[in-house]
Amino acid sequence: MTPQEEVERLIARVAMGDRAAFTKLYDRTSAKLFGVCLRVLNDRAEAEEVLQEVFVTVWNKADTYRVNGYSPMTWLITITRNRAVDRRRALKRPPEPIDTADLLPDGKPGPEASAVAASDARRITQCLDELPRARAHLVRRAYLDGDSYADLAEATGVNLNTIRTWLRRSLIALRECLSR
Amino acid sequence: MSDKTNPPEGPEEDEPRVLAAEYALGLLPNDERVAFEARMAEDQALRDEVAAWDATFAELIDDVEEVPPSPQLRKRLEARLFGARRPSIWQQVWPYAVGGIAAAVVLWFAATSGVLVTDDEAVRADLVAELAATPDGDGLDLRANVDTTRGAVQVLRSAGDPPEGRVFELWLIAGNNAPVSLGLLDGDGDTVIDLPQDLLASLPGAVLAISDEPPGGSPTGAPTGAVRAAGPLTAS
Repeated sequence: MTPQEEVERLIARVAMGDRAAFTKLYDRTSAKLFGVCLRVLNDRAEAEEVLQEVFVTVWNKADTYRVNGYSPMTWLITITRNRAVDRRRALKRPPEPIDTADLLPDGKPGPEASAVAASDARRITQCLDELPRARAHLVRRAYLDGDSYADLAEATGVNLNTIRTWLRRSLIALRECLSR
Repeated sequence: MSDKTNPPEGPEEDEPRVLAAEYALGLLPNDERVAFEARMAEDQALRDEVAAWDATFAELIDDVEEVPPSPQLRKRLEARLFGARRPSIWQQVWPYAVGGIAAAVVLWFAATSGVLVTDDEAVRADLVAELAATPDGDGLDLRANVDTTRGAVQVLRSAGDPPEGRVFELWLIAGNNAPVSLGLLDGDGDTVIDLPQDLLASLPGAVLAISDEPPGGSPTGAPTGAVRAAGPLTAS
């Protein structure tokens, strides 16, 4: 059984109210999901609070995730990431600054990025590496750190509308690359 | 800083796929998010587009370091999900009600064959209960002798103490009735408690149980702490 299949089987049993399966699911996935919370919130106590809410949701909603066509890990990661981002925004944490030197679009992926892309089977990283490095960085910040447009504008000192235009163009390019 | 941006310009303006990506990232300003959710509710293709972006972005999580949460978190979570409802007093005592009958038979044999002599002359037991420790009982060893003529119960404790800052309370559970408090056990040794007249008729076959409670006894009139020992009253 692949890890993916195992998580899927555990969620199916959790949906039937199986507490032992819930404990196993927690043991199998909590370190990964806690890492996600910690990355967004950068605060152990807040991250644990969010992780607890996530698993309460998992216990209560395990029977519904399939309806929306999510794989089990995508479902768990998406709930966790979105809850952590909601929490971060409620706390109004200021964004980490982004060095403006990093933002000058050089038009090409750096040689480093290309080497990484060659050894990385993930479509998202391959396609991000086709973007100018600074633009790819903004997409990563938006997803992994949960920065809003306002956060990214504050972090870079770039005008809000410019940031949005950059992001949208990057997303269009990503979408095009992903569908190739 | 406001989250408000000018409406997007250019050919991508009505590109629902870009809106789906912005939605998945949580980037849409509030009014646009609400409008997009309304569209999504009607449009399976849009929902699929969002799900596809969620799956794609989730691959980035491989780069995030795994960090185990503190071990207490799992306990807090399990307590929150599964520990909220303490099992009913009957769920807690019924195994002891069954097991107690066998013990009572042994006790009856011991009493009638003269092996056992009641050590308190004042209480002439016509009903007895062996109170077996529950999993929370932690080595408790208790026996109760009831003198229905005198209307008193004597509880003999040969082992086990209440947790720090708690006291033991004795309960009578007759049939399906709610537990009735009979009183608190003395700090150590034996306790004799007078029984209300109206309870005497319900004693045979009833279950005696011990819970731990705050000093002064249960504030609610019903057991609030864990049941630590229980057993049925049978004729001696």
